[in-house]
Amino acid sequence: MDDDSNVFFPRILNRYEDEPAEPEIEEGAEEDVENPNNEDVTGEPLETEDKEQRQPVERPRKTSKYMTKYERARILGTRALQISMNAPVMVELEGETDPLEIAMKELRERKIPFTIRRYLPDGSYEDWGVDELIVEDSWKRQVGGD
Amino acid sequence: MFFHIVLERNMQLHPRHFGRNLRENLVSKLMKDVEGTCSGRHGFVVAITGIENIGKGLIRDGTGFVTFPVKYQCVVFRPFKGEILEAVVTMVNKMGFFAEAGPVQIFVSNHLIPDDMEFQIGDMPNYTTSDGSVKIQKDSEVRLKIIGTRVDATEIFCIGTIKDDFLGVINDPSAG
Repeated sequence: MDDDSNVFFPRILNRYEDEPAEPEIEEGAEEDVENPNNEDVTGEPLETEDKEQRQPVERPRKTSKYMTKYERARILGTRALQISMNAPVMVELEGETDPLEIAMKELRERKIPFTIRRYLPDGSYEDWGVDELIVEDSWKRQVGGD
Repeated sequence: MFFHIVLERNMQLHPRHFGRNLRENLVSKLMKDVEGTCSGRHGFVVAITGIENIGKGLIRDGTGFVTFPVKYQCVVFRPFKGEILEAVVTMVNKMGFFAEAGPVQIFVSNHLIPDDMEFQIGDMPNYTTSDGSVKIQKDSEVRLKIIGTRVDATEIFCIGTIKDDFLGVINDPSAG
């Protein structure tokens, strides 16, 4: 597991429509490598602080609704890498062949099937779907000056 | 003994398997990876009978692969000390014989074969009683008791005995 390298970056999760809906409590149970204080608390009120961390969706999210340029860069990079490895493309193509260009088009059409996991300094996190975040960047740059 | 248990495994999925068939691809990869393997703790995974749940995928940096935690039900086979098994003899030599019960290899030493059975050399080496009524050779079916197991991370090996009541040949291919 190379999870330790991710501490400073938001986690990106993959999400597909046909994935079964699952209880939110379960979420993150398997990826607590950098949150050793997050023991498996599902319901019992051991520490309120802990409980809050376990259920990130229960409370309103407080981080920015704008995608940071770092998130954007990482998403485009990851998605372009996947597309270059033959991942099915989620958008209609109009002759594009460059993976990064396709990834940009997917981002523009909000079709990138990722979820960003933003870790906060206290170890808790918020999940934001890429389709929820506002990408504020000139689209011109994203289509490569087209 | 067979068990029906729930196991969990983190599956790495290549990006080319994404899309609407992601689940099916994941399950078929799981079956290919897991069925027939042996873990020291649970024994041999005989078959996957169902998928309990597939967790959220986690993207691996740098590779584009996604790791899914998959919980699956499976049938496992694990031999235990003292267990009685039926096995097919695969090899006979002067030290004893090897038998197989499914994926498990069992060795029965000649010390653990009844004293009245003698080793007969030849093109079909066998153990035979003095009156010739019982014969253990290749492809004989024997009922044996496991008296020892050696459990590695990826292999289980057993030592068996037929020196006990009701143990020994249950079906002789040459007689039938």
